[in-house]
Amino acid sequence: MKALYAPDATRENPLDPQTETLRLYAEHGTPLFRFCRSVTGQTDDAEDIVQEAFLKLLHHLQSGGDRSNLKSWLFTVAANACRDRMRWRVRWMPWRAELDTRTVDPVEHYPDRARARDAFRVLAPRDRLLISLRAQGLSYREMAAAAGIREQSVGRLLARAVDRWKKGFESWLV
Amino acid sequence: MACLTDVEIQAIVDGEASEERRGHEVTCERCRARVDERRRDMSAIGALMEGHGHPSPAFAMRLRQAAHAPHVVRGSTVLRPLAGSLRWGRAGWVSAIATAAAIALVVFAILPRFGAPTTLSANEILGRSLQTLSSAKGVELLEYEVAVGGMSHSPVVIRQLIDRDNPGRYRIASYGPDGEIHTAISQDPLTQRRAQLVRVDGVNYIVRVGAIPGPVLSLPQMAQALVETSISMMQAKSDQQLTVEDGPEGRRYVIDVPPVTPANPATTLDIFGARAVISGQDFRILQFDATGMLLKQPFSVSVKLRTHEFIGGPAPSFEIETGPEDVVLEGAAGDDPATELLTTILRELRPARGK
Repeated sequence: MKALYAPDATRENPLDPQTETLRLYAEHGTPLFRFCRSVTGQTDDAEDIVQEAFLKLLHHLQSGGDRSNLKSWLFTVAANACRDRMRWRVRWMPWRAELDTRTVDPVEHYPDRARARDAFRVLAPRDRLLISLRAQGLSYREMAAAAGIREQSVGRLLARAVDRWKKGFESWLV
Repeated sequence: MACLTDVEIQAIVDGEASEERRGHEVTCERCRARVDERRRDMSAIGALMEGHGHPSPAFAMRLRQAAHAPHVVRGSTVLRPLAGSLRWGRAGWVSAIATAAAIALVVFAILPRFGAPTTLSANEILGRSLQTLSSAKGVELLEYEVAVGGMSHSPVVIRQLIDRDNPGRYRIASYGPDGEIHTAISQDPLTQRRAQLVRVDGVNYIVRVGAIPGPVLSLPQMAQALVETSISMMQAKSDQQLTVEDGPEGRRYVIDVPPVTPANPATTLDIFGARAVISGQDFRILQFDATGMLLKQPFSVSVKLRTHEFIGGPAPSFEIETGPEDVVLEGAAGDDPATELLTTILRELRPARGK
Protein backbone atom coordinates (compact mmCIF):
# COMPACT_ATOMS: atom_id res chain seq x y z
CA MET A 1 0.00 0.00 0.00
CA LYS A 2 1.34 3.40 -0.85
CA ALA A 3 1.83 5.89 1.90
CA LEU A 4 -1.22 8.04 2.47
CA TYR A 5 0.93 10.98 3.37
CA ALA A 6 4.14 11.91 1.67
CA PRO A 7 6.98 11.72 4.20
CA ASP A 8 8.05 15.24 3.34
CA ALA A 9 4.60 16.74 3.36
CA THR A 10 4.86 18.15 6.85
CA ARG A 11 8.48 19.15 7.07
CA GLU A 12 7.28 22.72 6.60
CA ASN A 13 5.28 22.51 9.81
CA PRO A 14 7.07 20.07 12.10
CA LEU A 15 5.35 21.29 15.23
CA ASP A 16 1.81 20.37 14.26
CA PRO A 17 1.12 17.18 16.30
CA GLN A 18 -1.74 15.97 14.08
CA THR A 19 0.24 16.18 10.87
CA GLU A 20 3.34 14.78 12.53
CA THR A 21 1.32 11.80 13.82
CA LEU A 22 -0.09 11.10 10.38
CA ARG A 23 3.34 11.47 8.79
CA LEU A 24 4.74 8.97 11.26
CA TYR A 25 1.82 6.66 10.55
CA ALA A 26 2.65 6.80 6.83
CA GLU A 27 6.26 5.98 7.62
CA HIS A 28 5.92 3.42 10.42
CA GLY A 29 2.26 2.34 10.41
CA THR A 30 2.77 -0.78 8.29
CA PRO A 31 5.98 -2.00 10.01
CA LEU A 32 4.36 -1.42 13.40
CA PHE A 33 1.22 -3.29 12.32
CA ARG A 34 3.30 -6.20 11.00
CA PHE A 35 5.27 -6.29 14.22
CA CYS A 36 2.11 -6.38 16.35
CA ARG A 37 0.44 -8.89 14.03
CA SER A 38 3.49 -11.09 14.26
CA VAL A 39 3.72 -10.95 18.06
CA THR A 40 0.00 -11.25 18.89
CA GLY A 41 -1.00 -13.46 15.95
CA GLN A 42 -4.25 -11.51 15.63
CA THR A 43 -5.12 -8.84 13.07
CA ASP A 44 -7.74 -7.17 15.30
CA ASP A 45 -5.37 -7.02 18.26
CA ALA A 46 -2.64 -5.62 16.02
CA GLU A 47 -4.90 -2.85 14.69
CA ASP A 48 -6.04 -1.97 18.21
CA ILE A 49 -2.49 -1.76 19.47
CA VAL A 50 -1.28 0.31 16.52
CA GLN A 51 -4.21 2.67 16.91
CA GLU A 52 -3.60 3.01 20.63
CA ALA A 53 0.10 3.64 20.01
CA PHE A 54 -0.57 6.44 17.53
CA LEU A 55 -3.20 8.03 19.77
CA LYS A 56 -0.69 7.99 22.61
CA LEU A 57 1.84 9.50 20.24
CA LEU A 58 -0.60 12.28 19.39
CA HIS A 59 -1.09 13.08 23.07
CA HIS A 60 2.65 12.83 23.64
CA LEU A 61 3.29 15.40 20.90
CA GLN A 62 0.41 17.61 21.97
CA SER A 63 1.82 17.77 25.48
CA GLY A 64 5.24 18.76 24.13
CA GLY A 65 6.90 15.36 24.65
CA ASP A 66 10.39 14.47 23.45
CA ARG A 67 10.66 14.01 19.68
CA SER A 68 14.18 12.62 19.51
CA ASN A 69 13.44 9.01 18.50
CA LEU A 70 9.75 8.60 17.86
CA LYS A 71 10.17 5.37 15.91
CA SER A 72 11.71 3.70 18.93
CA TRP A 73 9.08 5.34 21.14
CA LEU A 74 6.27 3.86 18.99
CA PHE A 75 7.74 0.37 18.97
CA THR A 76 8.30 0.50 22.74
CA VAL A 77 4.68 1.50 23.37
CA ALA A 78 3.46 -1.19 20.96
CA ALA A 79 5.72 -3.88 22.44
CA ASN A 80 4.41 -3.10 25.93
CA ALA A 81 0.85 -3.22 24.67
CA CYS A 82 1.52 -6.56 22.95
CA ARG A 83 2.95 -7.96 26.17
CA ASP A 84 -0.05 -6.71 28.18
CA ARG A 85 -2.43 -8.23 25.72
CA MET A 86 -0.63 -11.56 25.68
CA ARG A 87 -0.58 -11.60 29.49
CA TRP A 88 -4.26 -10.77 29.60
CA ARG A 89 -4.97 -13.55 27.16
CA VAL A 90 -2.97 -16.04 29.21
CA ARG A 91 -4.71 -14.94 32.40
CA TRP A 92 -8.23 -15.09 31.09
CA MET A 93 -8.13 -17.36 28.09
CA PRO A 94 -5.59 -20.16 28.43
CA TRP A 95 -4.90 -21.51 24.99
CA ARG A 96 -6.52 -24.80 24.21
CA ALA A 97 -6.28 -26.26 20.76
CA GLU A 98 -9.93 -27.27 20.62
CA LEU A 99 -11.04 -23.74 21.54
CA ASP A 100 -8.77 -21.92 19.14
CA THR A 101 -11.24 -20.47 16.65
CA ARG A 102 -8.85 -18.11 14.90
CA THR A 103 -9.40 -18.06 11.19
CA VAL A 104 -6.82 -19.84 9.13
CA ASP A 105 -4.72 -17.97 6.66
CA PRO A 106 -5.40 -18.37 2.95
CA VAL A 107 -4.03 -21.48 1.30
CA GLU A 108 -0.31 -21.12 0.83
CA HIS A 109 1.22 -21.31 -2.59
CA TYR A 110 4.54 -21.94 -0.89
CA PRO A 111 4.28 -24.71 1.71
CA ASP A 112 7.68 -23.66 3.14
CA ARG A 113 6.22 -20.34 4.17
CA ALA A 114 3.45 -22.07 6.09
CA ARG A 115 6.06 -24.18 7.88
CA ALA A 116 8.15 -21.12 8.59
CA ARG A 117 5.12 -19.45 10.10
CA ASP A 118 4.23 -22.50 12.17
CA ALA A 119 7.78 -22.62 13.52
CA PHE A 120 7.52 -18.92 14.37
CA ARG A 121 4.20 -19.31 16.19
CA VAL A 122 5.56 -21.85 18.65
CA LEU A 123 8.51 -19.67 19.71
CA ALA A 124 8.60 -18.14 23.18
CA PRO A 125 7.07 -14.63 23.36
CA ARG A 126 10.46 -12.92 23.81
CA ASP A 127 11.91 -14.71 20.78
CA ARG A 128 8.92 -13.65 18.69
CA LEU A 129 9.23 -10.10 19.97
CA LEU A 130 12.93 -9.79 19.14
CA ILE A 131 12.67 -11.38 15.71
CA SER A 132 9.66 -9.23 14.86
CA LEU A 133 11.41 -6.05 15.96
CA ARG A 134 14.49 -6.86 13.91
CA ALA A 135 12.39 -7.80 10.88
CA GLN A 136 10.90 -4.29 10.97
CA GLY A 137 14.37 -2.80 10.68
CA LEU A 138 14.99 -1.67 14.27
CA SER A 139 18.57 -1.24 15.41
CA TYR A 140 19.86 -3.14 18.44
CA ARG A 141 19.56 0.04 20.52
CA GLU A 142 15.93 0.51 19.47
CA MET A 143 15.21 -3.16 20.04
CA ALA A 144 16.68 -2.98 23.54
CA ALA A 145 14.45 -0.03 24.40
CA ALA A 146 11.34 -1.69 22.98
CA ALA A 147 11.98 -5.10 24.52
CA GLY A 148 13.20 -3.78 27.86
CA ILE A 149 16.57 -5.55 27.75
CA ARG A 150 20.19 -4.41 27.75
CA GLU A 151 21.57 -3.38 24.38
CA GLN A 152 24.57 -5.68 24.85
CA SER A 153 22.23 -8.67 25.18
CA VAL A 154 20.25 -8.06 22.00
CA GLY A 155 22.62 -9.76 19.56
CA ARG A 156 22.97 -12.89 21.70
CA LEU A 157 19.24 -13.23 22.38
CA LEU A 158 18.33 -12.51 18.78
CA ALA A 159 20.85 -15.01 17.40
CA ARG A 160 19.45 -17.70 19.70
CA ALA A 161 15.88 -16.81 18.79
CA VAL A 162 16.67 -17.14 15.09
CA ASP A 163 18.43 -20.46 15.78
CA ARG A 164 15.38 -21.78 17.60
CA TRP A 165 13.11 -20.64 14.77
CA LYS A 166 15.35 -22.32 12.21
CA LYS A 167 15.52 -25.52 14.19
CA GLY A 168 11.74 -25.57 14.41
CA PHE A 169 11.40 -24.83 10.72
CA GLU A 170 13.78 -27.64 9.77
CA SER A 171 12.02 -30.09 12.06
CA TRP A 172 8.79 -29.34 10.14
CA LEU A 173 10.57 -30.27 6.95
CA VAL A 174 11.56 -33.71 8.23
CA MET B 1 41.70 -13.95 14.33
CA ALA B 2 39.39 -16.79 15.39
CA CYS B 3 36.28 -17.53 13.39
CA LEU B 4 33.12 -15.58 14.17
CA THR B 5 30.67 -16.68 16.82
CA ASP B 6 26.98 -17.09 16.07
CA VAL B 7 26.29 -13.77 17.76
CA GLU B 8 28.89 -12.02 15.62
CA ILE B 9 27.46 -13.61 12.49
CA GLN B 10 24.05 -12.28 13.49
CA ALA B 11 25.51 -8.82 14.15
CA ILE B 12 27.11 -8.73 10.68
CA VAL B 13 23.79 -9.59 9.04
CA ASP B 14 22.06 -6.93 11.14
CA GLY B 15 24.66 -4.28 10.30
CA GLU B 16 25.72 -4.03 13.95
CA ALA B 17 29.17 -5.66 13.78
CA SER B 18 32.48 -3.89 14.23
CA GLU B 19 34.85 -3.15 11.36
CA GLU B 20 37.21 -5.89 12.56
CA ARG B 21 34.50 -8.59 12.47
CA ARG B 22 33.35 -7.50 9.04
CA GLY B 23 36.92 -7.64 7.85
CA HIS B 24 37.21 -11.23 9.01
CA GLU B 25 34.08 -12.20 7.10
CA VAL B 26 35.66 -10.94 3.87
CA THR B 27 38.75 -13.08 4.30
CA CYS B 28 37.27 -16.28 5.81
CA GLU B 29 35.32 -18.42 3.37
CA ARG B 30 33.65 -20.47 6.10
CA CYS B 31 32.41 -17.44 7.99
CA ARG B 32 31.22 -15.83 4.74
CA ALA B 33 29.14 -18.93 4.01
CA ARG B 34 27.65 -18.74 7.52
CA VAL B 35 26.81 -15.06 7.06
CA ASP B 36 25.16 -15.83 3.73
CA GLU B 37 23.12 -18.57 5.33
CA ARG B 38 21.98 -16.30 8.17
CA ARG B 39 21.11 -13.61 5.59
CA ARG B 40 18.85 -16.14 3.87
CA ASP B 41 17.23 -16.97 7.22
CA MET B 42 16.60 -13.32 8.00
CA SER B 43 15.27 -12.69 4.53
CA ALA B 44 12.85 -15.65 4.96
CA ILE B 45 11.71 -14.10 8.24
CA GLY B 46 11.30 -10.74 6.49
CA ALA B 47 9.12 -12.38 3.83
CA LEU B 48 7.08 -13.98 6.58
CA MET B 49 6.42 -10.59 8.17
CA GLU B 50 5.49 -9.05 4.83
CA GLY B 51 2.79 -11.69 4.60
CA HIS B 52 1.08 -9.97 7.52
CA GLY B 53 -0.06 -7.29 5.09
CA HIS B 54 -1.09 -3.75 5.95
CA PRO B 55 -3.55 -2.09 8.26
CA SER B 56 -6.84 -1.70 6.41
CA PRO B 57 -7.62 1.58 4.59
CA ALA B 58 -10.58 2.04 6.92
CA PHE B 59 -8.20 1.88 9.86
CA ALA B 60 -6.01 4.62 8.41
CA MET B 61 -9.11 6.70 7.86
CA ARG B 62 -10.25 6.27 11.49
CA LEU B 63 -6.84 7.34 12.69
CA ARG B 64 -6.98 10.48 10.56
CA GLN B 65 -10.41 11.18 12.00
CA ALA B 66 -9.06 10.79 15.54
CA ALA B 67 -6.09 13.03 14.85
CA HIS B 68 -8.37 15.84 13.74
CA ALA B 69 -11.16 15.24 16.24
CA PRO B 70 -12.11 18.38 18.17
CA HIS B 71 -12.12 16.38 21.42
CA VAL B 72 -9.47 14.08 22.91
CA VAL B 73 -9.85 10.53 21.62
CA ARG B 74 -8.53 7.78 23.86
CA GLY B 75 -8.56 3.99 23.84
CA SER B 76 -8.18 1.51 21.04
CA THR B 77 -11.81 0.58 20.65
CA VAL B 78 -13.50 3.96 20.58
CA LEU B 79 -12.78 4.45 16.93
CA ARG B 80 -14.09 1.12 15.79
CA PRO B 81 -17.09 1.33 13.48
CA LEU B 82 -20.38 1.31 15.36
CA ALA B 83 -21.86 -2.17 15.34
CA GLY B 84 -24.79 -2.29 13.03
CA SER B 85 -24.49 1.33 12.06
CA LEU B 86 -24.34 0.49 8.39
CA ARG B 87 -23.85 -3.23 8.17
CA TRP B 88 -23.76 -4.36 4.57
CA GLY B 89 -23.90 -8.11 4.61
CA ARG B 90 -23.42 -10.57 1.81
CA ALA B 91 -26.82 -9.89 0.33
CA GLY B 92 -25.53 -6.38 -0.15
CA TRP B 93 -27.40 -5.64 -3.31
CA VAL B 94 -30.51 -4.85 -1.33
CA SER B 95 -28.51 -2.17 0.50
CA ALA B 96 -27.00 -1.12 -2.80
CA ILE B 97 -30.44 -0.46 -4.19
CA ALA B 98 -31.43 1.51 -1.09
CA THR B 99 -28.20 3.48 -1.34
CA ALA B 100 -28.74 4.06 -5.02
CA ALA B 101 -32.18 5.48 -4.29
CA ALA B 102 -30.62 7.79 -1.71
CA ILE B 103 -27.95 8.85 -4.16
CA ALA B 104 -30.52 9.74 -6.77
CA LEU B 105 -32.24 11.91 -4.18
CA VAL B 106 -28.94 13.53 -3.28
CA VAL B 107 -28.06 14.33 -6.85
CA PHE B 108 -31.36 16.04 -7.51
CA ALA B 109 -32.24 17.46 -4.11
CA ILE B 110 -29.03 18.21 -2.25
CA LEU B 111 -26.59 19.45 -4.84
CA PRO B 112 -28.51 22.59 -5.79
CA ARG B 113 -28.08 23.96 -2.28
CA PHE B 114 -24.35 24.35 -2.82
CA GLY B 115 -23.15 27.45 -4.54
CA ALA B 116 -20.66 27.75 -7.36
CA PRO B 117 -17.23 26.30 -6.68
CA THR B 118 -14.60 28.65 -5.36
CA THR B 119 -11.53 29.47 -7.38
CA LEU B 120 -9.05 27.39 -5.41
CA SER B 121 -6.69 25.28 -7.47
CA ALA B 122 -7.83 22.22 -5.53
CA ASN B 123 -11.23 22.97 -6.94
CA GLU B 124 -9.98 23.06 -10.49
CA ILE B 125 -8.36 19.66 -10.01
CA LEU B 126 -11.56 18.23 -8.58
CA GLY B 127 -13.45 19.74 -11.51
CA ARG B 128 -11.11 18.14 -14.04
CA SER B 129 -11.51 14.85 -12.24
CA LEU B 130 -15.28 15.13 -12.37
CA GLN B 131 -15.00 15.74 -16.10
CA THR B 132 -12.86 12.59 -16.46
CA LEU B 133 -15.43 10.57 -14.54
CA SER B 134 -18.33 11.58 -16.71
CA SER B 135 -16.66 11.74 -20.11
CA ALA B 136 -15.26 8.17 -20.31
CA LYS B 137 -16.14 6.13 -23.43
CA GLY B 138 -15.84 2.47 -24.47
CA VAL B 139 -15.68 -0.70 -22.38
CA GLU B 140 -13.70 -0.21 -19.20
CA LEU B 141 -12.39 -2.78 -16.72
CA LEU B 142 -11.72 -1.47 -13.24
CA GLU B 143 -10.45 -3.23 -10.16
CA TYR B 144 -10.60 -1.43 -6.87
CA GLU B 145 -10.50 -2.09 -3.16
CA VAL B 146 -13.41 -0.90 -1.09
CA ALA B 147 -13.59 -0.69 2.69
CA VAL B 148 -16.91 0.33 4.16
CA GLY B 149 -17.25 1.00 7.88
CA GLY B 150 -19.36 -1.75 9.46
CA MET B 151 -19.13 -4.10 6.47
CA SER B 152 -18.46 -7.59 7.78
CA HIS B 153 -16.00 -8.64 5.07
CA SER B 154 -14.13 -5.42 4.56
CA PRO B 155 -12.11 -4.62 2.54
CA VAL B 156 -13.43 -6.30 -0.57
CA VAL B 157 -12.03 -6.20 -4.06
CA ILE B 158 -14.49 -5.14 -6.74
CA ARG B 159 -14.00 -5.97 -10.40
CA GLN B 160 -16.22 -3.94 -12.63
CA LEU B 161 -16.68 -4.26 -16.37
CA ILE B 162 -18.77 -1.42 -17.74
CA ASP B 163 -19.79 -0.25 -21.15
CA ARG B 164 -19.52 3.54 -20.91
CA ASP B 165 -21.55 3.99 -24.10
CA ASN B 166 -24.35 1.91 -22.64
CA PRO B 167 -24.33 2.40 -18.85
CA GLY B 168 -27.02 -0.22 -18.25
CA ARG B 169 -24.56 -2.86 -19.44
CA TYR B 170 -22.14 -4.00 -16.78
CA ARG B 171 -20.76 -6.81 -14.67
CA ILE B 172 -19.63 -6.27 -11.08
CA ALA B 173 -18.16 -8.89 -8.80
CA SER B 174 -16.87 -8.58 -5.24
CA TYR B 175 -14.10 -10.73 -3.81
CA GLY B 176 -12.92 -11.23 -0.24
CA PRO B 177 -9.32 -10.84 0.94
CA ASP B 178 -8.82 -14.55 0.19
CA GLY B 179 -9.75 -13.99 -3.47
CA GLU B 180 -13.02 -15.88 -3.09
CA ILE B 181 -16.00 -14.40 -4.94
CA HIS B 182 -18.72 -13.04 -2.61
CA THR B 183 -21.36 -11.54 -4.87
CA ALA B 184 -21.75 -10.61 -8.50
CA ILE B 185 -24.32 -8.98 -10.72
CA SER B 186 -24.38 -8.62 -14.48
CA GLN B 187 -26.81 -6.95 -16.79
CA ASP B 188 -26.98 -6.55 -20.54
CA PRO B 189 -29.86 -4.53 -22.02
CA LEU B 190 -28.82 -5.69 -25.53
CA THR B 191 -29.61 -9.31 -24.70
CA GLN B 192 -32.18 -8.25 -22.07
CA ARG B 193 -30.55 -10.55 -19.52
CA ARG B 194 -29.55 -10.06 -15.93
CA ALA B 195 -27.79 -12.48 -13.55
CA GLN B 196 -26.85 -12.35 -9.89
CA LEU B 197 -24.50 -14.53 -7.90
CA VAL B 198 -24.48 -15.03 -4.15
CA ARG B 199 -22.02 -17.33 -2.43
CA VAL B 200 -23.41 -19.21 0.57
CA ASP B 201 -21.45 -21.86 2.52
CA GLY B 202 -18.93 -22.22 -0.28
CA VAL B 203 -21.50 -22.71 -3.04
CA ASN B 204 -22.27 -20.15 -5.75
CA TYR B 205 -25.99 -19.65 -6.38
CA ILE B 206 -26.67 -17.89 -9.66
CA VAL B 207 -30.08 -16.47 -10.53
CA ARG B 208 -30.59 -15.62 -14.19
CA VAL B 209 -33.52 -13.77 -15.68
CA GLY B 210 -34.38 -12.85 -19.25
CA ALA B 211 -36.58 -10.23 -20.90
CA ILE B 212 -35.71 -7.57 -18.33
CA PRO B 213 -37.96 -4.52 -18.70
CA GLY B 214 -36.45 -1.16 -19.61
CA PRO B 215 -35.29 1.34 -18.62
CA VAL B 216 -32.75 -0.67 -16.64
CA LEU B 217 -31.03 0.40 -13.48
CA SER B 218 -27.29 1.02 -13.61
CA LEU B 219 -25.49 0.39 -10.32
CA PRO B 220 -22.11 1.68 -11.62
CA GLN B 221 -23.77 4.92 -12.70
CA MET B 222 -25.27 5.30 -9.27
CA ALA B 223 -21.98 4.61 -7.53
CA GLN B 224 -20.41 7.16 -9.86
CA ALA B 225 -23.15 9.60 -8.92
CA LEU B 226 -22.17 9.16 -5.27
CA VAL B 227 -18.54 9.94 -6.01
CA GLU B 228 -19.52 12.89 -8.24
CA THR B 229 -21.79 14.19 -5.52
CA SER B 230 -19.09 13.81 -2.89
CA ILE B 231 -16.56 15.61 -5.07
CA SER B 232 -19.03 18.39 -5.74
CA MET B 233 -19.50 18.66 -1.99
CA MET B 234 -15.74 18.75 -1.51
CA GLN B 235 -15.59 21.56 -4.05
CA ALA B 236 -18.17 23.46 -2.03
CA LYS B 237 -16.11 23.27 1.16
CA SER B 238 -13.82 26.21 1.80
CA ASP B 239 -11.08 24.46 3.76
CA GLN B 240 -9.67 22.07 1.19
CA GLN B 241 -5.97 21.36 1.45
CA LEU B 242 -3.99 20.51 -1.64
CA THR B 243 -0.72 18.60 -1.56
CA VAL B 244 1.24 17.81 -4.70
CA GLU B 245 3.25 14.59 -4.57
CA ASP B 246 5.85 13.77 -7.19
CA GLY B 247 6.67 10.07 -7.00
CA PRO B 248 8.01 7.35 -9.29
CA GLU B 249 4.53 6.89 -10.75
CA GLY B 250 4.23 10.55 -11.62
CA ARG B 251 2.47 13.49 -10.09
CA ARG B 252 -0.46 13.01 -7.75
CA TYR B 253 -2.73 15.59 -6.22
CA VAL B 254 -3.96 14.91 -2.70
CA ILE B 255 -6.97 16.94 -1.68
CA ASP B 256 -8.13 16.80 1.91
CA VAL B 257 -11.20 18.22 3.48
CA PRO B 258 -10.32 18.09 7.19
CA PRO B 259 -12.91 16.30 9.30
CA VAL B 260 -15.51 18.38 11.10
CA THR B 261 -18.52 17.25 13.07
CA PRO B 262 -21.45 19.48 12.20
CA ALA B 263 -24.07 20.05 14.84
CA ASN B 264 -26.93 19.43 12.42
CA PRO B 265 -25.88 17.12 9.62
CA ALA B 266 -27.90 17.17 6.43
CA THR B 267 -30.76 14.71 6.41
CA THR B 268 -29.75 12.74 3.35
CA LEU B 269 -26.01 12.97 2.84
CA ASP B 270 -23.33 14.98 4.53
CA ILE B 271 -19.59 14.65 4.19
CA PHE B 272 -17.66 15.33 7.39
CA GLY B 273 -14.22 14.62 6.02
CA ALA B 274 -12.87 13.46 2.69
CA ARG B 275 -9.68 12.82 0.82
CA ALA B 276 -9.17 12.37 -2.90
CA VAL B 277 -5.91 11.28 -4.48
CA ILE B 278 -5.98 12.25 -8.14
CA SER B 279 -3.57 11.28 -10.89
CA GLY B 280 -1.61 14.20 -12.33
CA GLN B 281 -1.58 12.50 -15.74
CA ASP B 282 -5.24 12.00 -16.52
CA PHE B 283 -7.01 13.38 -13.42
CA ARG B 284 -8.41 9.95 -12.66
CA ILE B 285 -9.30 9.35 -9.01
CA LEU B 286 -6.80 6.88 -7.55
CA GLN B 287 -8.14 6.86 -4.03
CA PHE B 288 -11.18 8.31 -2.36
CA ASP B 289 -11.96 8.24 1.37
CA ALA B 290 -14.96 9.87 2.97
CA THR B 291 -16.77 9.87 6.27
CA GLY B 292 -20.15 11.35 6.90
CA MET B 293 -23.82 10.62 7.32
CA LEU B 294 -26.00 8.88 4.77
CA LEU B 295 -29.70 8.71 5.57
CA LYS B 296 -28.89 9.67 9.18
CA GLN B 297 -26.49 6.74 9.53
CA PRO B 298 -22.75 7.33 10.01
CA PHE B 299 -20.66 5.90 7.22
CA SER B 300 -17.03 5.66 6.28
CA VAL B 301 -15.88 4.47 2.91
CA SER B 302 -12.49 4.07 1.33
CA VAL B 303 -12.07 3.24 -2.34
CA LYS B 304 -8.68 2.59 -3.87
CA LEU B 305 -8.16 1.99 -7.58
CA ARG B 306 -5.94 -1.03 -8.22
CA THR B 307 -6.05 -1.42 -11.97
CA HIS B 308 -7.83 0.21 -14.84
CA GLU B 309 -7.90 -0.55 -18.56
CA PHE B 310 -9.97 0.10 -21.63
CA ILE B 311 -10.89 -3.05 -23.55
CA GLY B 312 -10.41 -2.60 -27.28
CA GLY B 313 -11.63 -4.89 -30.06
CA PRO B 314 -14.81 -6.96 -29.88
CA ALA B 315 -16.95 -6.33 -26.80
CA PRO B 316 -16.32 -8.91 -24.06
CA SER B 317 -19.12 -10.98 -22.55
CA PHE B 318 -20.93 -9.33 -19.68
CA GLU B 319 -22.35 -12.67 -18.44
CA ILE B 320 -21.40 -14.20 -15.09
CA GLU B 321 -19.42 -17.32 -15.88
CA THR B 322 -20.69 -20.49 -14.21
CA GLY B 323 -18.61 -23.32 -12.78
CA PRO B 324 -19.53 -27.03 -12.61
CA GLU B 325 -20.34 -26.82 -8.89
CA ASP B 326 -22.54 -23.72 -9.18
CA VAL B 327 -26.30 -23.87 -8.66
CA VAL B 328 -28.03 -22.00 -11.49
CA LEU B 329 -31.66 -20.93 -11.13
CA GLU B 330 -33.73 -19.42 -13.95
CA GLY B 331 -36.15 -16.78 -12.76
CA ALA B 332 -38.55 -14.17 -14.07
CA ALA B 333 -37.63 -10.53 -14.47
CA GLY B 334 -38.93 -8.25 -11.73
CA ASP B 335 -38.89 -4.56 -10.99
CA ASP B 336 -35.41 -4.69 -9.45
CA PRO B 337 -32.59 -7.21 -8.96
CA ALA B 338 -33.25 -7.67 -5.24
CA THR B 339 -36.87 -8.72 -5.80
CA GLU B 340 -35.84 -11.06 -8.62
CA LEU B 341 -33.31 -12.78 -6.41
CA LEU B 342 -35.72 -13.24 -3.54
CA THR B 343 -38.72 -14.41 -5.58
CA THR B 344 -36.66 -16.90 -7.61
CA ILE B 345 -35.20 -18.48 -4.48
CA LEU B 346 -38.59 -18.60 -2.75
CA ARG B 347 -40.15 -20.27 -5.81
CA GLU B 348 -37.40 -22.90 -5.73
CA LEU B 349 -38.05 -23.45 -2.05
CA ARG B 350 -41.70 -24.33 -2.52
CA PRO B 351 -41.26 -27.66 -4.41
CA ALA B 352 -38.41 -28.53 -2.05
CA ARG B 353 -40.88 -28.36 0.84
CA GLY B 354 -43.28 -30.63 -1.07
CA LYS B 355 -46.04 -28.05 -1.59
